[in-house]
Amino acid sequence: MSVSIFSEEELRYEIIRVMKALYDRGLVSALGGNVSARIPGSDTVWITPSGVFKGDLKLDDLVKINLDGEVIEGFMKPSVEWPMHTAIYRVRPDINAVIHAHNPITTGLALAGIELKPITVEAVVTLRSVPVIPFAYPGTDELAKLVAERVKGVRALILQNHGVVALGYNLVEAEAIVETLEEVALTQLVAMLASGGREIPMIPERDRELISKLYF
Amino acid sequence: MAEWYGYTGRIARVNLSDSRVSIEDAKMEYIDLVLGGIGLASLILFMEVDPRIDAFDPSNKLVFSVGPLTGTMVPGSSRTTIASRSPLTLGWGESHLGGFWGTELKKAGFDAIIIEGKADTPTYLYVEDGRIELRDASRIWGLKTSNVEKSIISELGDPEIKVACIGPAGERLVRYASIISGERVAGRTGLGAVMGSKKLKAIAVRGLLQIRIRWPDKLRSMISRLYPSIMSFPTSQILSSYGTNGEMESFYQYGDVPIRNFTLGEWDGIHKIEGQYMVENYLKRHRACFGCPVGCWKEARVEDPRYGLIEGRMPEYESAASLGSLLLNSDPVSLIYMEKLCNEYGFDVISSGVTIAWAIECFTKGLITVEDTGGLQLRWGDPELIVNLLEMIGERRGFGYILGEGCRLASRIIGRGSEKYAMHVKGLEVPMHDPRAFKGMGLQYATSNRGACHLQGLVMRIEQGERMPDLKIYRRFYRFEIEGKGWLVATMQDWHHVIESLGLCKFVQIPPGHIAGFYLLVTGIEKRLPELQKCGERISNIQRIFNIIAGVTSGDDTLPDRFLSEPVVEGGAKGEIVELKPMLKEYYKVRGWDERGIPTREKLDDLSILGIIESRLDSLEIDIWGYKQSIRS
Ligand code: SF4
Ligand SMILES: [Zn+2]
Repeated sequence: MSVSIFSEEELRYEIIRVMKALYDRGLVSALGGNVSARIPGSDTVWITPSGVFKGDLKLDDLVKINLDGEVIEGFMKPSVEWPMHTAIYRVRPDINAVIHAHNPITTGLALAGIELKPITVEAVVTLRSVPVIPFAYPGTDELAKLVAERVKGVRALILQNHGVVALGYNLVEAEAIVETLEEVALTQLVAMLASGGREIPMIPERDRELISKLYF
Repeated sequence: MAEWYGYTGRIARVNLSDSRVSIEDAKMEYIDLVLGGIGLASLILFMEVDPRIDAFDPSNKLVFSVGPLTGTMVPGSSRTTIASRSPLTLGWGESHLGGFWGTELKKAGFDAIIIEGKADTPTYLYVEDGRIELRDASRIWGLKTSNVEKSIISELGDPEIKVACIGPAGERLVRYASIISGERVAGRTGLGAVMGSKKLKAIAVRGLLQIRIRWPDKLRSMISRLYPSIMSFPTSQILSSYGTNGEMESFYQYGDVPIRNFTLGEWDGIHKIEGQYMVENYLKRHRACFGCPVGCWKEARVEDPRYGLIEGRMPEYESAASLGSLLLNSDPVSLIYMEKLCNEYGFDVISSGVTIAWAIECFTKGLITVEDTGGLQLRWGDPELIVNLLEMIGERRGFGYILGEGCRLASRIIGRGSEKYAMHVKGLEVPMHDPRAFKGMGLQYATSNRGACHLQGLVMRIEQGERMPDLKIYRRFYRFEIEGKGWLVATMQDWHHVIESLGLCKFVQIPPGHIAGFYLLVTGIEKRLPELQKCGERISNIQRIFNIIAGVTSGDDTLPDRFLSEPVVEGGAKGEIVELKPMLKEYYKVRGWDERGIPTREKLDDLSILGIIESRLDSLEIDIWGYKQSIRS
C-alpha cells in the first residue's frame, strides 16, 4: 500500500500548481482539462472542479470524491471527467495521479492518423506505447469504460477527437508524461514537415530492444 | 431556534375568513425532506388540504413560497412557486413566477405565505419587513393587472413595491386564470382563479431585510468564475438574443411546433412569428429577472392601426405558438397584442390558445355551431377572431364563458364527440411541443402531476442531444426511441422539482453538481447531490398521492388520442405516434410504483416519508392501497 509523503492540503496545492503549469504551457485551456490525485492508499480522490477557469484555481475549488463520484468535501461540482479518473484508479491501484489535458499537437497528429514514433529517448523510455481510444462523448461512462480497458501497462493514452490522459504514481510523474507527449509530438511534426516526406530516422532497434519487445 | 441561512425560517399564515395573520417558524423536518419552494408548498398542502374538495372551497389553500436560493447571488435565483388544488386539473396545481417578487418576499422575511379561507370583500395583502397587513381592495377589484400594480404602488407610495395580482379573469374564475407580477406570469393550472375565489386581488411586498448567506465570499468567488461555462450552454446565447421564441425555427425542424391544433407538420407562417423576426422588428428592450445573466425576457413596442401603441412583453415561444401556429395565425403584431390581452386580463396563453383551437376545430367539423358561439363564425388564421375570443374569455362573456372552463370541461359541456379534439392531460391544456416529435415529452406530459407540462423535466433537451452526466444521463437518448425513457423522465422530473424547490430558473442551465455546491454555500446545510435528488423524488411522490386522493389516477396518465393514434402527416416527425404504454410501464417500475401507478409502501419508506403519509391518509380516512382500479389499456 502506498503512503503519502504529503498532507492532503499539500496535495491540493500540488494539483493547483500542476493545473497552472499545464495552462501556462497551453496544454489545457480555460475550461478544458482536469487533474486528480488519489489520497495514497485510499479510495478517495481530490479532483479539479468543472466549469472553472483552469489557470487560477483556489484551494476551495477542489473537490474530494469517492470512486463512485460522490462528493465528500468541497462546494464545487467535480470535473465531468470524474468517471474516467476513478475508472483508472479502480484498475490501477498503483496510480495516484491522473491528468487529462488537451495537448493540441499530440491530439492533432492522432487525428491525422499518425502514431508517435520512437524518435527520441523520451519517446522510447518515458512514453513507450500510447494507445489511441476511439471517440466517446466526454464525461460519459462509456469513455470511462474504454479508457479502463486500455489503461493497463501504459502511462499515457490519446483520446481521439479530444485530448490525452497521463498517469503517475504522483502528480509530478503524470505531469512529466503530459509534457513529454507534447514534446515528442511536436518534434515529430517538425521533422515530418521539414523532411518533406522523407523517412525520419528512428532510435535504432538495438537501442530499444527490450522496450520494443514489450510494447511495440 | 435554528440559525437560518438562505432560508428566513419564517412562514406567514393569513386567514382571509377571519383576517387573522400568524407567523410560524419553518419546520426543519420539512426543509430536510423537501428543501423549500415547490417542495415546501407540496408538503404543506398535502398535510393541510383535503385534495377531494372543490378548488374554490374556502378550505382550499394557496401557498406562495420561495426557495433557499431565491434572492441570492446565485444566477437565475428569481423564482417563486405558487401551489394549490387546481380548478383546472381538479387535482394538483402549481405554477412558477420569475421577475422580482420572490426576492422581495424573502427580503420581507418569509419563506412562504399560506393563504386560507375566503374574504367577504375584495382584499389585498401588504407584506413588509416581517409584517402583514390586510387591506381593502374594492377600489382595485375589476382592474386589469398593470393598473392594479400602479394603483397599489401609488396608494402605498413606494415605487419599489412588488405586486403579484390577478386580473378580471381571476375574479371571474376563468379556470386557467394566471397570477401576474410585472410582466412575469405564473400562468398554469388556474391559480389566479383560486385567488379570485378567495377575493384576494393582490399581494404586495416590500423587504429591506438582509438575506443571510453562510459563506458569501466563497459563493461569490465560485459564481463569478462559473459564468463562462453557464453561458456556454447551447441555448444560452439564443435565449439572450431572441428569448425563448428564438428556438421556434429549430423546434420546427423537428416537427415539434404544433400547427392547426396538432394536425399539420408544415406551415410557412412560422418565419413571421419566430423570435428572431420578432426581435428584429419589434424589440423595445431586453430584460432579465432578478440576478439573471441570460435574460430571455424581451419587451416589445409597436404601433398598429388596429391596436394603437402596444408596449408589453414580447411573446414567449409558448404564446407565439399557442396563439400563432396552433391557430394558423401568422400575424406577429397581433401576437404581441394578444400576449398583452392575456396578461392584462390575467389568464394563461397556452390554455386559452388550446381551448380556442379546440373550438375552431370542432366548428369546422360541425360539432360546434353558431348557436353555441352566439353567431360567431370560427375559422383558422383569423387574428381578429382570436382577439375577440380572448376578450370574451377575460370577461367571461357569451361563448367566452364556456371557453373559460378550459378545453376538458368545455368539451364535456358541448359533448357531441368534441372531447376528441380537446388537447389536454389531466385537464391541463397541452403546451407547444408535439410529443410525437419528442416521445419522452409524451411520457412527461402523461405523468406530470399538474397535467401536460413541458417544464417539469424538459426531457426534450436530452432528446435533442444534451447529456447530464451529473444525473448519470451519459448516453445519447434519441427522440423517437422508447427504451429508457421511463428512467429518463423520472430522473428529469425529480431534478426539476429540486430546481423549483431551491428557487432557480431552469432556463439558466447550471449543472446539478454546481447547484449542490450553491445549496451548501448558501445554507450551510450539508446535502450532496444524491440527497437533493432524493428530495426531488419525495416531491414527485407527495404530489402523486395528493392526486390519487383527489381521484386523479393512472387512468389519467395518458395523452390525447391524437398523439397516440394519428401519425403526423408531414414535417420533421412525419409518420410518428407516441408509443406511451411501454414507456409508462417502465416509468412506474423505475419509480417503484405498482401497476396501478400507486407508490408502494416500500418506496415511501425508502424515501423516509411513509410515516407522514400514512398518518395523513389516516386522518383523511382513506386507503390508497386498497383501491381497485386497473391501468388503462
Ligand atoms: S432565463 Fe429568462 S425566465 Fe429565467 S431568470 Fe433569466 S430572464 Fe428570467
Ligand atoms: Zn477534455
